[in-house]
Amino acid sequence: MTTQTAAPVHDEAPALVSCAALAVGYAGKAMLPPVTLQVRPRQLWAVFGPNGSGKSTVLKTVLGLLPPVAGEFACTASSLGYVPQRSEIDPAIPARVIDMVRAGVERKWSFLDPSWTWKNRAAIDDALGDTHIRALVREPWTHLSEGQKQRVLMAQALAGNPQLLVLDEPTSAMDVHAERAIFALLDDLRRRRDLGVMVVGHNLGVLARFATHALFVDKDQAAVDAGLVRDVVRGSAFVERFGRGVAEHLGASDAT
Amino acid sequence: MPPEAPPTLRDFFAAWELFADPALAGALAGALLGALGVYVVVRRMVFLSAALAQAAGLGVAGAWFAQIHVGVPAGLATPTVGAGLASALAATLMASGEAGLKGRRDGWLGGVYLVGAAGTLAIGTRIVQEVQDIETILFGSAVAVSPDDLRALAWTVGLLGALHLVGLRGFVQVAVDENGARVRGLPVRLLGLLLMGSLALAVSFGTRILGALPVFAFTVLPPLAALRLAPNVGHAVLWATLIGALAGFAGYVAAFLWKLPVGAAQTLTATVLLAMAWVAGKGLQWQHNRSAHRGGHIHGPGCGHVAIRHGDHVDYLDDGQLQHQGGAGHEVHHLHGHVAAAGYDHGHDHDHEGCPTAPQGHVHGPGCGHPRIAHGDHHDYLVGGRLHHQHGDHCDDHGPVDVVE
Repeated sequence: MTTQTAAPVHDEAPALVSCAALAVGYAGKAMLPPVTLQVRPRQLWAVFGPNGSGKSTVLKTVLGLLPPVAGEFACTASSLGYVPQRSEIDPAIPARVIDMVRAGVERKWSFLDPSWTWKNRAAIDDALGDTHIRALVREPWTHLSEGQKQRVLMAQALAGNPQLLVLDEPTSAMDVHAERAIFALLDDLRRRRDLGVMVVGHNLGVLARFATHALFVDKDQAAVDAGLVRDVVRGSAFVERFGRGVAEHLGASDAT
Repeated sequence: MPPEAPPTLRDFFAAWELFADPALAGALAGALLGALGVYVVVRRMVFLSAALAQAAGLGVAGAWFAQIHVGVPAGLATPTVGAGLASALAATLMASGEAGLKGRRDGWLGGVYLVGAAGTLAIGTRIVQEVQDIETILFGSAVAVSPDDLRALAWTVGLLGALHLVGLRGFVQVAVDENGARVRGLPVRLLGLLLMGSLALAVSFGTRILGALPVFAFTVLPPLAALRLAPNVGHAVLWATLIGALAGFAGYVAAFLWKLPVGAAQTLTATVLLAMAWVAGKGLQWQHNRSAHRGGHIHGPGCGHVAIRHGDHVDYLDDGQLQHQGGAGHEVHHLHGHVAAAGYDHGHDHDHEGCPTAPQGHVHGPGCGHPRIAHGDHHDYLVGGRLHHQHGDHCDDHGPVDVVE
């Protein structure tokens, strides 16, 4: 079954990401029905679905880490910020918080410029301030809690002054308190920095509370649904997976 | 006849002209392999250098075999050329086949290692006049290095050192977070190829001159020591350069003093340096924890502890204690009656009414599920922003605290 809801225009800002009948997958083989959506500044897109449903594959295609299998894809964001799954960063890596955040300002061949980091010190400081981790700059990565690590990775992504921030399960190892704090921070950042945000998550309550838009993917049902949160959670694909009661509860609490 | 006196450092430096080239070669190879080895260790591919070293060994043995039995001119089939070709071939195979290995890279590296080692030993039985050199390749028993080899090694160290100094931040980024580097547009593929090429060159030279054992040791042990001491990967590259150079030089001196095989002495010296770094790292960690934090935890937004506004600052609730993250570490703050003055209602039995998380019949105590918090001379439990005090069979409301979201 394929369900496709056109994402309504949230505002008049030009799209940072446009997907028209985009097929994502590996080795030329699509794993989901085509996706059509547009991500604009100040929108927070929740990407959700069962485990192994293709959420990370969609994000990797948006980030340019995977080539599209078919369809149209355009990313006009001048800069992307990426917060990877926690398993992608070695937990034992020797690095201070400031080292991790400084890495975020590197672009293309900038590593050949010895003064690049110094030139971008204001962006680094802003990122540290926006994520409330200035007090931690000299602390080793290995000493941080999961919540603090996520803030550091968000600061790293923000240091590059991205127009689009993409986060892959940033709260997977957190309790509900810490998860809400991270999403509240994302909500604040998208408003203050005019950011487009795409975030993978599992906690439907938190996603529905903070997201403006949603992309529901389900490989097993061969279903994709994209649009305003209230439309997606009332869509047949979501209802079939989670039930009408959940859909009605979430539809009443979305951020749009 | 009196027993021969053991050699001393004075004897070593008295014969410096004789030992200078191999000792300096050890230091140069140790420095280069140590620096490159940091990326090898961080990217979790330590077996790569072992496999490349064995492949290089097979290349050296193959060159001799070609000279002796096939009649290839000695100027064409030199051991250096053989080592370089074999390690470059192995590195290219591993790099180009990366996508097709389907997560079995360690197994394939093991295969290259085994073919290299077995091939070298097998060819060694056919070139008995070079049997001493086969041992040199495998175990690093070189006691002499020709001036030409030393000069070539110095050029290699200089060129690769310059390349990696200029591209240090790029190489570090790719090693630490390859996908992040791709998203930021760094030339990840080129940097990966340059690293692989540098390793193949350094390992083939090192194996030809020092032998496979110390080459493998230099790419693993100094980097491990450096990663233990350095605050970040970039600094670790510089630390590993120094530790590798020291292991190469001091290992050669140790081999002279205690009449040990050079490769074994260099490997053991690197091991001793690693042990020293481990102890020093523990000391640094202890000092850091002692001076700044308890148990290495830093309180702050998102640290996982409940944050409570306390006067003009924010404290964190840790194991029943109200802690403030100060410049000198965790300071224990105390919550007294006046802090929770607004709404303080000591003695009021509220029976958990209106509390969504503590239902009727709930008894507060250790493990009850609510955060415990020291309050004056007793402990309360934090429920919905209010202090609950279990008093016998009922619960008193000890007023509100300002929980920071």
